[in-house]
Amino acid sequence: MRIRMGMRGATSGIMLLLGIVALLTSIVYTSSILAFIGLGLAFWGAILLYVEPEEHIKKVILDASILPPLTTLNQIIQELGYKGDVTYLPPRYFQNPENSKVYIPKQKDAYLPTPEQIQRCENQTFVKSPQGILLTPPGAELTRLFEKRLKTSFNKVDLNYLQQNLPRLFIEDLEIAENLEMEILPRQVLARTSDSSSLVQAEYYTVHVRITDPICREICEESNKLIHICGRIGCPICSSIGCALTKATGAPVMIEIAQTSKDEKTIEVDYRVLGIRS
Amino acid sequence: MDFPLSFWDISLWLAVTAIILLITSELISPYYGKTNLLINKKRLRNVALTISIMFLITVAIRIYEIIIST
Repeated sequence: MRIRMGMRGATSGIMLLLGIVALLTSIVYTSSILAFIGLGLAFWGAILLYVEPEEHIKKVILDASILPPLTTLNQIIQELGYKGDVTYLPPRYFQNPENSKVYIPKQKDAYLPTPEQIQRCENQTFVKSPQGILLTPPGAELTRLFEKRLKTSFNKVDLNYLQQNLPRLFIEDLEIAENLEMEILPRQVLARTSDSSSLVQAEYYTVHVRITDPICREICEESNKLIHICGRIGCPICSSIGCALTKATGAPVMIEIAQTSKDEKTIEVDYRVLGIRS
Repeated sequence: MDFPLSFWDISLWLAVTAIILLITSELISPYYGKTNLLINKKRLRNVALTISIMFLITVAIRIYEIIIST
């Protein structure tokens, strides 16, 4: 790779140099042919130097390095027996609003802790009261990259901003997927059962995201087998959208459903945004 | 010891270069499928647009000259 880059640089440099020499010669001999040759060589040499390739790694390396941490995370949650709903916590739950964390309660139906309860043990993994686990989601760093590319913080934007800018970022800028559609479904009210003390709050709305041909198709395929990852914490891409949603809405977010189409080309994820921004 | 190209030669060269660059930057766009070209597309598009604008400026100068001369 480095040799190829060196060759490229040398070729561009030689082209640029030859172009400049041809241009100077054309002035001395008043030759328009030499001037065109010189202009072309100098211009394309400069272009090749300027439009240098970005650093890339092969996709197989990416696939091989992402899956093991996801498998380990799945095993840890499985063995520790955290059965509750996975919730992406909004910035008001943390002293540092740039933090992105998910909360998984020990019990299946449990209340979402208050921001104060989480702030007390923000830097710990295990929360004692109420019993649960605080994890950095697999897509947290990817969300930071989105913010860096969009030159903003998702804490300062709203859902409409995400709806307008995430597709462009996914398709054109980072080339994560061939297409991304985000649809905000109407607000719904959930009828609570008297015996339930579920995390799920009474009022919520759903954000439906459809990702076509994502780069991590193989990872999605494999993470389908990990019951605590797919449809709960989410693969890195689904998780990054979850982090972005919780930051932009200021409300806790849960992955409701994550489905892959039969040809495994399209992933459809429903995010449940709980309650209203405070 | 004069530069052998006239203003209009440069204008023509800019037009041809702009077309080549614009087509290239559009063809390697992800909208038309991946072409595995490891180049910085954003920079290429910026160069293409700059060259196009430079060509349009030369056209504007020409139009201005025509209006002035009549």
